[in-house]
Amino acid sequence: MSTIDRQSPEESRRPAAWLLWSLATIALWGAWGLVSKVASEGVDAYVNQLLYTVGLAPLMVFVAWNVWKRSAKESVEARRRGVFWAFLTGILGGVGNLAFFEALVKGGKASIVAPVTALFPMVTVVLAMLFLKERLGRVQWFGLALAFVAIYLLSI
Amino acid sequence: MHIWLGFAALALIFWGITGVTQKLSTNSISSERSFLWFCWAMVALSAVVLLVARPHQGLATIVLVSSIAGGALNGLGAWTSFRALESGGKASIVISLISLYPLLTVLLAVVILGERLTWMQTTGACVAIAAAILLSLEGTPRPEA
Repeated sequence: MSTIDRQSPEESRRPAAWLLWSLATIALWGAWGLVSKVASEGVDAYVNQLLYTVGLAPLMVFVAWNVWKRSAKESVEARRRGVFWAFLTGILGGVGNLAFFEALVKGGKASIVAPVTALFPMVTVVLAMLFLKERLGRVQWFGLALAFVAIYLLSI
Repeated sequence: MHIWLGFAALALIFWGITGVTQKLSTNSISSERSFLWFCWAMVALSAVVLLVARPHQGLATIVLVSSIAGGALNGLGAWTSFRALESGGKASIVISLISLYPLLTVLLAVVILGERLTWMQTTGACVAIAAAILLSLEGTPRPEA
């Protein structure tokens, strides 16, 4: 009998790794909204973005090491294409950061700006539908409608 | 309309576009390599920002630490989200679970910063979080005709 899929009682009591990583993500991104508001009390959006990049630097070194160590076998063409889109993602993400910081500098509460900006998948799903020809499920259509309701409620 | 809401909407639009460009990137390269080039773009953007930014001396320590911690927290969060997906978590569950992060921001802002929300804003924040979760769920592909 195979024991590959069998978990010991101790293992089954242990939370799944993906759950722990997901909870860590919630903690890290949740705290980001808070510290961004604190920072916005003393610096403008541009300086905030500069210091943000300073904070990102140590992780960059770690990730660069990982990428170098596990050099994936990607074709030159695929790598070029992937790097182009990743770089564009960074530029757009950075401009989005500037707008996020500016929203906080202009008096937006962290408790409102964070939920509003977390609605960004509404733009993604619409663009994916238009340009990637993806289809929306009923749940996503409902989510999209709720997103508009949320923005209306928060803008009153 | 409040001016901050306009900027929040702008952030939402730019981050929304990154959802597509990131997907196009990870179709061709690993998520870690994609993240690395995302970071390089942040460095490039910061070099441009340096031309318009006016860093001044005498920043309060709390402001300086919070601002730098912001980059570390957001970057680490992106990395842990990749790890969650690589550790066998289903994308539909992991992504909708991590969409709950604004809930923590709301909680921390109310408890630590003493922010107060009206009844309407509380409802709006709850609806926004529910919408973000629903939007993160992948639609079931329709069978081919």
